[in-house]
Order: sequence, then structure tokens, then C-alpha cells
Amino acid sequence: MAGEAPHLKVRNLTKSFYGVPAIDSVDFDLRGGEIHGLLGENGAGKSTLCSVLSGLYRPDSGTVSLDGEAVQFRSPQDASRHGVGMVYQHFRLVDSFTVAQNIVLGMHKKQRPRSMRQVESMVADLAEEFGLHVDPTASIWQLSVGEQQRVEILKQLFRGARILILDEPTAVLAAQETDRLFEAISTMVAKGHSVVLVSHKMAETMAYTDRITVLRRGVNAGSVTTASTTPAEVARMMFGDSNAAERTNYDAAQQVGEPMLSLSGVSVQGDHGLLAVDDATFTVRRGQIVGVAGVAGNGQRELQEVIAGLRSPVSGTIEIAGTNCTSAGPKQTAQAGLAYVPEDRLGVGLAPGLPLEHNIVLKSYDRSPHSRRGVLSDSAIEKTMNELVEKFDVRGNRSGMRVSLMSGGNLQKAILARELNEDHQVLLAAAPTRGLDMAAAEAVRSHIINERATRGVLVFSEDLDEIVKVSDVVLVMFKGRIVGSFASDELDLDEIGLLMTGSGAEIASTDTPTATSTRAGS
Amino acid sequence: MRNRLRVMPRGVTGPEVRFGVPLGALAFALLLGAIILAFAGNDPIEAYRTMFDSSLNGWKAQSRTLALATPLILTGLAAAVAFQMRVYNIGGEGQLYLGAIGASWVGLALPASTPTPLMLSAMLIVGALAGACWALLAAIPKAYFNADEIITTLMLNFIALSLMNWLIFGSRSFWRDPRRPVPGGKRLPESAIMPSISGRLHIGIIIAIVAAIFLWWLLRKTSWGFQIRTIGDSPRAARYAGMSVRRKTMAVLALSGALAAIAGVSEVSGVTKGLEPIALTSNIGFTGIIVAVVARSNPLGVVPVSIFLAAIATSGSRLQSIGIDVEVVFLLQGLIFLTVTAGEFFVTNTVSLAHPDTSATGSPPTSEIKAAI
Repeated sequence: MAGEAPHLKVRNLTKSFYGVPAIDSVDFDLRGGEIHGLLGENGAGKSTLCSVLSGLYRPDSGTVSLDGEAVQFRSPQDASRHGVGMVYQHFRLVDSFTVAQNIVLGMHKKQRPRSMRQVESMVADLAEEFGLHVDPTASIWQLSVGEQQRVEILKQLFRGARILILDEPTAVLAAQETDRLFEAISTMVAKGHSVVLVSHKMAETMAYTDRITVLRRGVNAGSVTTASTTPAEVARMMFGDSNAAERTNYDAAQQVGEPMLSLSGVSVQGDHGLLAVDDATFTVRRGQIVGVAGVAGNGQRELQEVIAGLRSPVSGTIEIAGTNCTSAGPKQTAQAGLAYVPEDRLGVGLAPGLPLEHNIVLKSYDRSPHSRRGVLSDSAIEKTMNELVEKFDVRGNRSGMRVSLMSGGNLQKAILARELNEDHQVLLAAAPTRGLDMAAAEAVRSHIINERATRGVLVFSEDLDEIVKVSDVVLVMFKGRIVGSFASDELDLDEIGLLMTGSGAEIASTDTPTATSTRAGS
Repeated sequence: MRNRLRVMPRGVTGPEVRFGVPLGALAFALLLGAIILAFAGNDPIEAYRTMFDSSLNGWKAQSRTLALATPLILTGLAAAVAFQMRVYNIGGEGQLYLGAIGASWVGLALPASTPTPLMLSAMLIVGALAGACWALLAAIPKAYFNADEIITTLMLNFIALSLMNWLIFGSRSFWRDPRRPVPGGKRLPESAIMPSISGRLHIGIIIAIVAAIFLWWLLRKTSWGFQIRTIGDSPRAARYAGMSVRRKTMAVLALSGALAAIAGVSEVSGVTKGLEPIALTSNIGFTGIIVAVVARSNPLGVVPVSIFLAAIATSGSRLQSIGIDVEVVFLLQGLIFLTVTAGEFFVTNTVSLAHPDTSATGSPPTSEIKAAI
């Protein structure tokens, strides 16, 4: 395990997908024996950079050098031979195999001991050395998530990794497990390994890293020494300058009316049994756009689904336009007046393999005039489609064509055309402009702003600029809780950025590392 | 030079593609078959002429083919309606047996003097219900515990087969005729037998064709079918739109089971005229799956595909009489099935050659298959 601590140097790295750069001329230095935090919003290019470094993607241009020597990784195996290993957020383990079997899986016969007994004892030694305790003979399905992560790390160490890239390693861990992970990471660094820590969480990054690099929209927004920076500065690097975001000009004298959507103490169980939404209470009124800011995976999806009736809350009450919809299904919430633009356009918002006329009446197919006594009227459906296509400027449809062949902007307009019918009272829109080109995004945004004149809107977005642009009230969500609420005239982007990464005012003001107490604002 | 095959989805599929591609595939299969026939030492032209004459040339041949197509249409529809929702009912075979058991029970239990229309209606209803209930044995675990219906419906086939064999061979059941030296079913009274149209062709063919039209209407023109098609395409979108995926899963499997069971009613009442396990176990349920796949789960497509497969099957014995092995007949059937289903890919996609330097422009293809050409 000994040897010089590695030094990884990245210059001018660019990688595009279908002509859109995911990372653009990125420079990045990983010094020997350091823990380097890599921060950025979703889509900032963190995963792309890591995938290039671990040999999964090949860059379009730019160089990577290891200890002064230029390298080109042709595959993850190739990167592994050079001592670079990646631990993904979603583990790549075979459930029915043992720990030791998983660790040698994919290794060439010549690279590994012949007997599994020998592998097991080597794994046990390695686990002891780094404090990554796990039974080498146990099957993966018997292990906790934290143990499975240790197996992934051991897998890389076993292959001789000196540079470890950990992709959001704490996202799946409970507090004590997080502590143990960071103990193991410090052991690794002490033994001359270098670690790249991809993270969304400000507190742990501030507490455990030596240096921090922030990616923003595919470019390096700066690399700083952790000891000489503040969470506020890093947040500003991640989310941009307060002055950059402008509010869209609209009638400031807008009257705010009665509640259109009220949540009171709503908690929701997530897919893994933990609380995904924890005690959410807020109200969206007529004439108001409420924006929810937050890094993805902090309970936004579950919150949307519970409002739409796709999930049941474990506690609390939900009212839509005066109707109690706490345990209503999606049909009832729509009847109560909820228009819902889901995050997944194709697959949830639209049935991808079916034509536009089918999708446009997806929620009204069983009502007059689209059907009578259970029999569909093709002519009435076509009439509705033509009217809405005209009104919402949906382009690119041909008769009978499945909608998945239409562009993202037109798909979103088609969903809006269906959801913004005469009967709705409140619009729930999730990531409404994600992946759209400028013109389409602007069109979608203007539909949302128009809603405000007569109805209420709740909009979720990872794009903080967009939230600030359109919202009258901004809520910040972190780890399932609403950790902040700002009226549009008292917006503080720095503060919002800090809350989004889980550090409130108390962390900004002190330098004490408190990685586990990240429940800011609770 | 290294070129790439470029695969692009077709936006809209016109009728020339929808009918042209399967016909082209058929021609291709016949051509391949001709080569195989020639290798086997047969004259392909004579063989194909014999096939045509014995199955489609003249009313006698046609009625024989249609008689064989009757149960295939029904089991084909059974598979097609489930496939429309991407539920894979492999249990048509067993559901058919249950239909035969139920219908023959009614035929034997009601007085022989019951008027034929009443008798046949009762047999159809009870047979269909028996098949639907049998399918529900797989549908309920599927709906509530997401148990894989491919496994459960397949397994239920073996249970249904054993049940039918036991009723005739293993017990002195109500269905068994004790007077026959070789175990067999009691013969149904005349009133429980489907009237013949011509020779072996009976009114079951009318039931089958009416069922095909009804099913097409149900799937295409009703809000119930709208939901089935939505769930088949995207269960998440269906849930989002407030449809009950669970209820529809059970309903569709029950309907599918009922259709397969009606094939059993038609066979027991129109062909075997009693519960005869050996005659009933001719893989009609499984062949229905092939029919549905080739017909792309379109109920109206099921009718011609069934007739086509039946034509190949009826010509089998005549082909043997001119010296062609039965295996070669099966081989031809397999070839046609394979080419027509493989042709499906060309119905939904276009394939062209692209030079590497041009492949970077335009919209992204769904997949690129590297090929050294």
C-alpha cells in the first residue's frame, strides 16, 4: 500500500453529450494525501467528471495526468490498474454472492488468489487495517447499507486503488455510520491515499475536506482551501451571485386570496422506510406562486406525490381548494382542482408509446364529450386535441405518432395543455423547465406566471435562479423538512444556498465542524 | 472502411408498411423454406402447390382450415388482450381445459331435451366463467403481490391438465363414460353440440369472429380499452391519471381466461363432443400465444393469422402424403413465425447505412449497431 501519494492533474477537460457540454474546459487537481470535496448542483457536471476520471467515459478533449505522467483510461478496469477506483452512490454488488466473491468479481485470474479462503483472509486484513469492518463470508443481502458501502470501498482498495472517488457516500447513511465512514477515510488518507468526496452537504464538506472544488454548469467555479473559506462563500460559488438572479417583472400589486393548497404537519414515509417528508406545513394562496428550492433527493418527489394523491401521508392533513384530500387518490385530487405537471414528463406525465390525442385526454377520457357511457368519441377527442395544440402551440405532432418522438418543450406544453383546464384551482409543477431550450423554458415559465393571476401555483425546481425569478414565496427543503421560508422582497440567496446544503446561520458563524448535526433550521 | 448501421424510429407507420413488411417477411420465409425443401430432396413448387390446394383452394379445403382456425382465433384473442396491457398470460392452454370441463358438465347435467340455443349459451357462460376463475388464480397474486404471471399461469396449465386427466383416467367422475372399455368422456347430447356449417366447420367460427370484432371495439373505442392501452404503455402514467392498475390486471386476466375457455367450449361442443383429454391437448392454447405475437396483439389481426397458421397445419398431412417429413412442416411454420416477428422491428424502425463522419449530425438515433462493412 505504500509508495508516493498520488497526484492527479486534470486540464481543460471537456465532455459533451449530443453537442451539449456536460463539463467544459475543467481544470482539477487532486493532491497526494488530501480529501478533496467536489460540490455542485444537480447537473453541474460532477458525475461526468468522476466518470471520466474513473474510465467510464472518454473525454472529448483535455488531459489527465497521474504523477506527472499523461494517462488515458480506456475502461474502469484500466483506471483501476492505474490505481483509481470509484464508489458509486448506487452500489454495484451481486446480492446473492458473498463479500469476498463480490470483491474479486471481474478480476482476472492472475490478479487474484486462487482460493476464496485466501481472498477472505486478505479482505479481513484489509478491513482491519482501514477500520472497514465487515464479514468477508457474509452474503450481500444480509448486510446493511453502510456495510455494503464498506464492501464497495474494500473492493477498490483490494484492487490497489490509491485514489478513491466517493459519489455522495453519506446520502444513504445514518449519522453513526457517517462518522465511521469518515474515520475510515482519514485512515486511508493517513496511509497515503487520496479521496475525492462528491457531496451536496455543506457541513460534512466543510468539516472533513482539505480543499473544495465547485462545479457550476459544467465549468470549474473555483477551487479553495477549506480552512480559508466559509460556507457562505462556497454556497455563492455553487448557486451564483445574489445579483445575478432577477425577478420577472409582474404586477406587484397582485392580490393574494384564499388558500388553494394547504398542508399541515404532513409527514411521508420514503421508499426506504425513513421519513422522506417531515412535518411539512405551508399554504399556497390564490394569486401566489410558492417555489420550493432544494437539492434533489431531499423529499421533493415524495412531497409532490403526496399532494397529488400518489402516496399517503403518515400524518398531517392536505386541503386542495377547500376539499380535504389527505388520503385521496390521484383522481380525487384532480377533481378537487389540482393540476399536476410531474417531474418525469415521459413515463408519468405522458404515456410515451401512445399518440398525442390519447395523452391529451389522459385525465378526461371518461367524461363527456370525450366519451359517453363508456364509449369514446374519436371526433370529440380530436377536436379537443386540435384546440389545445393551437392554444398551447404544441408542435411536431403527426397523426398517430407516439409522443416520445416529440421534443421536450413540446411534451411539456402538451402536459400543460392538458393540466391547465378550466376546472383547476392550483398548479403543482415539478422541474417544469428542466432540459428545455431557452425558448421553450420561457414559454413554460410564462404559462406558470399567467396562472398566478387567477389561481395558485406551487413550483419545485433545482434551479435556484428560476425559483427566485418566478416565486412570491420561496421555501427551502432539506432532508425532508421545510428549513426556510422567504417572501420575495426579503430574499437572501446566500442564506437560501446555505440552507439548501444543510447549513444554517449557526454553521456560517462558527468554524466548528459539526458534520452530523446538519438539521439546520429545525 | 467501417460503417455503421443507423437505426431510426419511424414516426408514423402507414398501411403500406404495416401490411407490406409482414408480406415481405412471408415471402422471405417461403423462399428460405424452398431452399430447405430442395435440400431435403423435395420439389418446392409442388410442395407449395399441395399446401395451397389442401388448405385454401376450394370450399372443402377452406372449411377444413377454418375449422382448425376457430379455437386458434379464440386463444389468440385471449393472449392478445392480455398482451395489450403487457400482462403475459401463458395459461391459455389450462384455461381452455377448464372451459371444456365446465361446458361439458353443463351439457351433461342439463336435460338432453334443453333447446340447443339455451344449452349452448349455458355452456358458453359456465365454460367462460370457469376459465376466468382459473385465470384469477394467477391474477390475484399478480395484482396484490406482483407475483410473476408468466410463471403462475404456466404452472396452472399443468394443474389443469392433471385435473382433466384425473376426471377421465383417474376417477369415476361425472364426466367419464363407464361403459367405454378405454376411458373416455360421456358423449354430449345432440342439443349440446354446435351446429355444423359444412363438414367439420361449426358455428364456433362465428363466435370467434364476433369475439374478435367485439374485442377490437372494446380496446379501441371504449374508455375501458383506453385504460388498458394506457396501462400497457406506462403503468406509472396510468396511476398518475388515476387508473386502478390492480383492478384492470384482474379484469384483463379474467377476460383473457374466459376467451381461452370459450375455445375449450367450442372444441368440446363442436369437435370432440365429450371431454376427451387426448383430443383436447393439441397445444391450441400455446399456439394462441404465437398467433397474438404475429398479429401484434391486434384482435382483428388475430383472425387472418390464425387462418394462416391453420392453413399450414391442415396442409401438413397432405405434405406428408407426397413424401415431406412432418418435421419439415414444423420447420416451415417456425420459419414463418420467426421472420414475421423479426419483421416487426422494421415496422417500427428504419435502418440505413451511415458513414462515420455523418453520424454525428442530426437527431440522436435510438441505437447504433457497429458493423464492419
